Amino acid sequence: MLVKPFDPPRPTDAELEILTVLWSRGAATVRAVHEAIVRRKPTQYTTVLKMLQIMAEKGLVRRDEKQRAHVYSASRPAEWTQRQLAGDLLQRAFGGSAKSLILGALSSHRASRAELAELRQFLDDYEKGKP
Amino acid sequence: MNTLSTWVQTPGAQAVGWALVHFLWEGVALGALLAAAVYLLPSSAARVRYAAACVTLFAMPVAFFVTLMVLLPGHQAPARTAFIAGPIAHGAIPIWHPSDSAPTPLNLAELLPWLAPCWFLGVLFFYGRGVAGWLAVRRLRRRGICEPVSACRRHLARLCQRMSISRPVQLLESCFADVPVLVGYLRPVILVPLGCLANLPAAQVECILIHELAHIRRHDYLVNLFQGFVEGLLFYHPAVWWASRVVREERENCCDDTVVAFTGDARVYAATLATLEHRRAVSLEMVVAATGGSLMKRIRRLLSTPQPAQRSATPAFAAGLLVVTFAAALAAWPASPTPQSAVPAVALRARLLALQALEPQASPLSSALQKLQNSEPDAAFRQWLNPHIKQKVRSEVSSQNGFALLSDASFFSPTSAPDAPSARQQAQSTEMPDPYRKWMNEDGAYIIKKEERAAFLRLQTDDEREQFIKQFWIRRDPTPGTPENEFREEHYRRIAYANEHFSSAIPGWKTDRGRIYITYGPPDQLEDHPADGTTFSVPYQRWRYRLIDGVGTNVVIEFADPTGKGEYHMTMDPVEKAAALGVLNSGQTTVEQMGSPDDGQANSPTLARAAKVFQSAQDSRVTVATGAVPVDPPPVKAANGLYIRKVFRFGQFNNALVVALGPAAGTYSISATVTTAGGVVVQVFSTGAPAPGPFFRWLTTLTPGSYVMQVLIKDPSGATKSSKTPFTVD
Repeated sequence: MLVKPFDPPRPTDAELEILTVLWSRGAATVRAVHEAIVRRKPTQYTTVLKMLQIMAEKGLVRRDEKQRAHVYSASRPAEWTQRQLAGDLLQRAFGGSAKSLILGALSSHRASRAELAELRQFLDDYEKGKP
Repeated sequence: MNTLSTWVQTPGAQAVGWALVHFLWEGVALGALLAAAVYLLPSSAARVRYAAACVTLFAMPVAFFVTLMVLLPGHQAPARTAFIAGPIAHGAIPIWHPSDSAPTPLNLAELLPWLAPCWFLGVLFFYGRGVAGWLAVRRLRRRGICEPVSACRRHLARLCQRMSISRPVQLLESCFADVPVLVGYLRPVILVPLGCLANLPAAQVECILIHELAHIRRHDYLVNLFQGFVEGLLFYHPAVWWASRVVREERENCCDDTVVAFTGDARVYAATLATLEHRRAVSLEMVVAATGGSLMKRIRRLLSTPQPAQRSATPAFAAGLLVVTFAAALAAWPASPTPQSAVPAVALRARLLALQALEPQASPLSSALQKLQNSEPDAAFRQWLNPHIKQKVRSEVSSQNGFALLSDASFFSPTSAPDAPSARQQAQSTEMPDPYRKWMNEDGAYIIKKEERAAFLRLQTDDEREQFIKQFWIRRDPTPGTPENEFREEHYRRIAYANEHFSSAIPGWKTDRGRIYITYGPPDQLEDHPADGTTFSVPYQRWRYRLIDGVGTNVVIEFADPTGKGEYHMTMDPVEKAAALGVLNSGQTTVEQMGSPDDGQANSPTLARAAKVFQSAQDSRVTVATGAVPVDPPPVKAANGLYIRKVFRFGQFNNALVVALGPAAGTYSISATVTTAGGVVVQVFSTGAPAPGPFFRWLTTLTPGSYVMQVLIKDPSGATKSSKTPFTVD
């Protein structure tokens, strides 16, 4: 039985990459994680294995040891880590200035509650008006 | 300081100062021209407006540099020199007396030479900010990212081909992007938020991708860099920022038009934008922005609803701009830079008006179906779709995902599969004695062929039935002639095993696992993932068969137990699978669901075939979802501040569960099951959500009928609350 620390530490960049794969794919074997990562950059299988073992010790991932091939899954949801990393100084300092360098389908400001309600109302009305 | 004082008196510095002053009126003039163009052109002419704004933005630095060249010593005509140098020479006489108690009014001529260094500092600041932004973007495209599954990449490649984009485009999932964004010009990367590809319907994902690809095709990123250059260079002039903003918003409108042109349905796209905004709003803490809804205006434009009092905003804004700029010019002092965020976004789309030619066609059904057929070349999906088209199902584009899920659910739900045929047969064979009926509907239910069943029902006497059963087993005996019938023994062993191991409220042989076990035997490989007590997973099992005759090789079947009562359901539904895999935002993508094999584990097509096999074997009826929505039920209060606020309708596209969380802070785990009144599970999901704050989850479209939503919430201390909400879809 793995004893999980109450709050895992903030993941490093390399750990974050593995976590992202796990969030995206769900639980995955080391091989699956390696396959997803190696497509972007050459990485040794053993490196990924070692990283996952370290992350399991840190409590960032959970290991299911029922099968021959161990299945790993992220121990925290993506939102939790995003909040952890929001305190990242670099992230904060650069985040604002990066907005003008990004082309997004939506503007950089978030919609307020009232706007969302208005939007929903409008789409609703539109649906009613145009069956 | 002395050096600086000397430098500002050089002709070069003074020329820069004067060029800056002259640009005040030049900028106003160019801005006014653009304002006139924006006022005159209808909002549907996004491309023309975009071109006008781009030309204006390009003309601004050109005007500045031309002025500078003219003013630089050596380039200027003597008469002009006298005219311009006059005030400077006059101003060179010191008029500042430190002994005066009252401050002397600021003098243009005195301050003018200092314009150049101040301006230079400003430019440095804005370009420094640009470099910082570039570094941040570099981090964004390297950190916390992951390649999407291959089906999505193939989908993107197909779209690239359709839009004739030859540059390689990378699609990545990012845990930092909160909306889909495009970064980079030479090696463009589309970053989508984690889970976006998996959770949105395929039609909406396509809209997002087309929008970003349109940016690439239009070289918007390059234009964006140029905008950064101009904004930084002439940062002090509001007209520059305004023109730049017009470029930005018209650029989005142009891309919107491209999406509508490619997909042919503005409504799906509008719903996509709204859904994205909702997802973002709930993804982190809600930031209540006081700014107006630019998105609202964009959606209005897309759906061509003219907004009242739109036009009046333009002249007012232009007049305001003129007044402000002239005031600034008169003060002969660089206007304070106007950062983009400080300009109220209310004005953003206010100038956009008029009708949009690319409206959805008169018949939503035909366009929807046509779109489904055109845009999804996956043969498996289309093959799947065909019978539904024949049935003239009234369906909306956005529900394509929805009805796939529901029909799968009906294939596999335990009540519809073994019970449906037996109920029908029971009516026909009322006089059949119990043991024989039981034999047909239980013992042999999964292996009896249709013809055999029909023959068995025609039999009149018990003797004949005994004989039939004997023959039934003999036909299946792998070693005829020996007293043992290995097939029969194995079959009854499987039933016993199923009843022993898979029973919950339903007898084991009737469950999904039981059915698979009895039909196909023990799996070659079994992964068991029981609940581990943490909040983010539901127990699930994954069975792997190396070969199933008539179905395929390497068949993987997953069973999830969302209720935790031991009732495992076969999962085909990506939402249920996401829940089954135990991690938020995971699971099959919609593209995957259409039948493209996933990396490494090619199970979707085989399972689709398996679904067909079961359908024919059990003759269960396919339920088809239509684009209907549930009505609002009243809020249901559970207990202790935890309550389901609303299951509200949202257009025709999505239904949502909203849960208010609290009072304890921390992560709540939420699992919800939507069942029909008859108890058939149609939707299952579970997720974690941080408190405080509302939690949303989009559900797919449901067939008309009565449903019950059961929500189970576990608070951080582990206490659980549950509630049942009945609602109807009509």
